[in-house]
Amino acid sequence: MMSIMKTAPGRSRLAQTAAALLLSGNAGTALPHEHMPPANPGQAVASRPAKPTLAIGATVDSQGRIWLARVENRALLVSHSADDGKHFSAPVVVNAEPENIGAEGENRPKIAVTRNGTLHLTWTLLLPQPYTGEIRYARSTDGGKTYSAPITINDDKRLASHRFDSLVSDGGDRLAIAWLDGRDRDAAKEKGDAFVGASVYFSRSDDNGASFRANRKLTDHTCECCRTALTWTTNGPVALWRNVYGTNTRDFALAHLDSGELQRLADDEWNIDACPHHGGGIATGGDGTLHAVWYTHGKNRQGLFYRQVKGDRMSAPMAFGNPQAQAGHATVAANGQTVLVTWREFDGQAYGAMAMLSRDGGISWNEPRRIATTEDAADYPIPLIHSDRMQVVWNTLREGVRIMEVE
Amino acid sequence: MLCRLCLLLMCLSTWPASAAEPARFDSGSLAKIEARYAGKPFILSMWSVNWCGHCIDELTMLGKLSKNEKNLPLVLVAVDSPEDSDAIRKTLRKLGLGHAESWVFDDPIPERLRATIDPTWQGELPRSYLYDKAHRRQAAVGTLDEARLKAWLEQQGQRSGAAK
Repeated sequence: MMSIMKTAPGRSRLAQTAAALLLSGNAGTALPHEHMPPANPGQAVASRPAKPTLAIGATVDSQGRIWLARVENRALLVSHSADDGKHFSAPVVVNAEPENIGAEGENRPKIAVTRNGTLHLTWTLLLPQPYTGEIRYARSTDGGKTYSAPITINDDKRLASHRFDSLVSDGGDRLAIAWLDGRDRDAAKEKGDAFVGASVYFSRSDDNGASFRANRKLTDHTCECCRTALTWTTNGPVALWRNVYGTNTRDFALAHLDSGELQRLADDEWNIDACPHHGGGIATGGDGTLHAVWYTHGKNRQGLFYRQVKGDRMSAPMAFGNPQAQAGHATVAANGQTVLVTWREFDGQAYGAMAMLSRDGGISWNEPRRIATTEDAADYPIPLIHSDRMQVVWNTLREGVRIMEVE
Repeated sequence: MLCRLCLLLMCLSTWPASAAEPARFDSGSLAKIEARYAGKPFILSMWSVNWCGHCIDELTMLGKLSKNEKNLPLVLVAVDSPEDSDAIRKTLRKLGLGHAESWVFDDPIPERLRATIDPTWQGELPRSYLYDKAHRRQAAVGTLDEARLKAWLEQQGQRSGAAK
């Protein structure tokens, strides 16, 4: 067919990236996207321009310093800012050997910092075979100067799908890492058995990441391509993921990793034989109340929703975000009675980083606000709460990393 | 002579490497596709080479179907980016869809292109639209059901052996 043999003129992605790099030359309060030479040029086999890897990890330490993890040219880079993003430290490379690190869409590197200042990082190493990957971990015990050699957390030694990692720390020596795992699906298929979806596996450390316990399975039959989320409660870590109920109902579930008892987050009844590629978020507030956000297009409700979970009691799902603007990919942070939710919208011209805030544990909310915009590729915004300050971190191709205060 | 050679090289460099190179899908592409299929039914099917296992199941079915349905009016749109063109071409060829009309999203803001197809579509895949002759279209959310597709093709008079 002739019509498909023509290549549209238009700017190439490379040209766009170059233009964006020029535009971001004046750093201001933003961190420009640096293009580092690959650590080992022999391994850089990219014959085509690298896609922008905009999805970053962000956290804040006990001194109020913001730490970022981002991916450039197969390197995971960590830097920090002590002045709310006006200046950043020179990035330090975590992985000496270049790796194909998932850093777009629902994939992003995760970073956590404990009270003693140890930095923990997890990411998904994407392997060349479709949908296969490994969950990787490294840490720094010297304040981010050097990093341990990355290790693989999934211990099945199978070439299988291990993706969509999440990481949480209790602030002390305990860590949990959860992810979506395809080992049992593959094993079932090898035996000729049917297996719906993937599984959630996790691993825990009680010694500040010096060692990890054997992998444990939390559950089978989960959606295969939505991010997982973790939060630490007084009863240990709780995971949130998009589960598969029945043959194909893709609604969210949560569970304490220790008890393994599943709780359905909502009866959305989204029956879909597809990959929504759209996960949820969870955070722990005062009194151990869990704050959850998620996306659904189910029979019973459609759009972004928020609800509180306390034991068996749950608040009514509250809709937020503008469905006409494809509101999606929400994340939640909580501290005491303060709850901050961020998400992304697109108004036809520009992406907006959206935020809404509650000061009473999620009972009442201020009007959602569009706190920043961009007219090019963008990550999803990330909420941070620390020392009674609320901030949103947003990485966009044109503007770089911006850190914005929410009042 | 040298100039003519330059010109030839310039032309060649703007051409895709093979006939199956996905075309760039921008905010005007759907209107062009619809215009080309004016008065004719077609299937618009969105997928991703990077993150959609269900899409591969659907394309496997479509690949098998297109063996028997030589004139399957199929338009495939990958929601990835032009950098993925090689992977898209290889995947389609492997699934018996090397000949199919293939497009790839070309916009740093995929929401913009999704909105031209269906503003209510949040990106879940696969997702298809069955256009009848009058271009009244029905959405198929999730993996296309083979029986439904065959029945639809029958209705459109598109199946081999069916009355044209």
